[in-house]
Amino acid sequence: MTPPKHILGTFDEALSSLRNNVLMMAGLAERTLDRAIKGLLQRDDNLCVTAIADDEEIDQLEKQIDKDGVDVLLRFQPVASDLRRVVASMKLSTNIERIADQATNIARRARKLNRHPALPEVEIIVPIQAHAMTMFKEAIDAFAREDVDLGRAVVAQDKDLDYMNKMANRKLTERMAQDPKALRGYLNLIFISRCLERVGDHATNIAEDAVYAAAAEDIRHQTAAATT
Amino acid sequence: MVSLLEMPQTVTQQLPRQNETPVEETEEATVMIDVRDLDFAYGANQVLYNVNLDIPPQAVTAFIGPSGCGKTTLLRCINRMNDLIENARITRGAIRLGGVDINAPEVDVVDLRRRVGMVFQKSNPFPKSIYDNIAYGLRIAGVNKRSQIDEAVEKSLRGAALWDEVKDRLDEGALGLSGGQQQRLCIARALAVEPDVVLMDEPCSALDPIATAKIEELIQELKRQYTIVIVTHNMQQAGRVSDYTGFFYLGKLIEFGSTTKIFTNPSERRTEDYITGRFG
Repeated sequence: MTPPKHILGTFDEALSSLRNNVLMMAGLAERTLDRAIKGLLQRDDNLCVTAIADDEEIDQLEKQIDKDGVDVLLRFQPVASDLRRVVASMKLSTNIERIADQATNIARRARKLNRHPALPEVEIIVPIQAHAMTMFKEAIDAFAREDVDLGRAVVAQDKDLDYMNKMANRKLTERMAQDPKALRGYLNLIFISRCLERVGDHATNIAEDAVYAAAAEDIRHQTAAATT
Repeated sequence: MVSLLEMPQTVTQQLPRQNETPVEETEEATVMIDVRDLDFAYGANQVLYNVNLDIPPQAVTAFIGPSGCGKTTLLRCINRMNDLIENARITRGAIRLGGVDINAPEVDVVDLRRRVGMVFQKSNPFPKSIYDNIAYGLRIAGVNKRSQIDEAVEKSLRGAALWDEVKDRLDEGALGLSGGQQQRLCIARALAVEPDVVLMDEPCSALDPIATAKIEELIQELKRQYTIVIVTHNMQQAGRVSDYTGFFYLGKLIEFGSTTKIFTNPSERRTEDYITGRFG
């Protein structure tokens, strides 16, 4: 249910602007990640270069969101759901910026790989990137729609991604031993897999913040807390 | 306070002091003021409906809500200030202080008001010296020994964080103090008779930010020793100074809980809409 408008119209405008910037930043990061992966799979250096260049705009948006968030805190002293949304927006922007950094890292590794003959093992990356991308999109959806269940579901998916990364590492390490000449290529694929695993970690953070924003519930570190 | 202290005593039952065993409900050690099923009306106009509230000791409890929601009326019920208003009365329920019904016929209203001090929106020092403002309540209470009064004046002014500013001019008129100092003097005056509870009705609404900050700092100090109930329209102030917050709307207590909970995740939609500025 959409909350009623604030008495102060400028407060609604500031919150709306903050939210729109977060969603725009997420859209740009998603596009960057997609370009980086396509640059890898399609061996397209232009896409890689574009992905790397996109990062600048995302960095600027991160700064803008932080600035706007501080401005909202200062001017309107938000409380309750408003406060949670502002805090979550600022935390989201940090995680989205790091996802974009991972996309940049992937693009750089892809450019290195593109200088050498194609490795068939690049296909190992496909399901990993699909899983990481789904987590990222759903985490952003959870925030945008204030969907607590979806947020929780994203968090639960991270273990699968970790496992996929682990299996990829194992397989690629084996290939390194079997084909030492292509060692650098396999190493780059291991790094790319690792980057995607990190994307999943940031998507998890975003999903946790989405749950906090929507329901004021802190679901971080629950496994660790339960075992201590 | 003058008229209150001068009101005739009708007492036979003394209210228990804070930290003493309550006369009745011994199990309620964590409740200083217990409001139960309270209805209150000004003539035919009912302004409080079935209010239930446990105010803990040595903590700051804030009442918030839009104008006319009944928060000040409830505050004034706690030391029976509403007795002074014709046709104003509790029509149902009770308020207990330390387990004792404050409206019981045997309760002395003067004693009650000594135990439950009050600070008002606008500072109201007597047109007397700083010293006499503090000493007045003590003299009314029968304390006449100069050394005892001197000690109480210093203690109260120190308690209200005003001593260092006025110690060299205690004989000067209180009306010469700044607004913030006058308000702290009124707090000191309330503290002089060693109350258990201090009620504050928008104590900072007429003060500038510096004077407000001093009062808020003082409230944090005072809660170590006193139970404080504050009515404020300033949401940020409620968030800063209080441990518990009650939100009132149209004479009903909509929600009561820890201030952190109320201001980060209120349970009631009306609370959320009010504190986030979606109606008022």
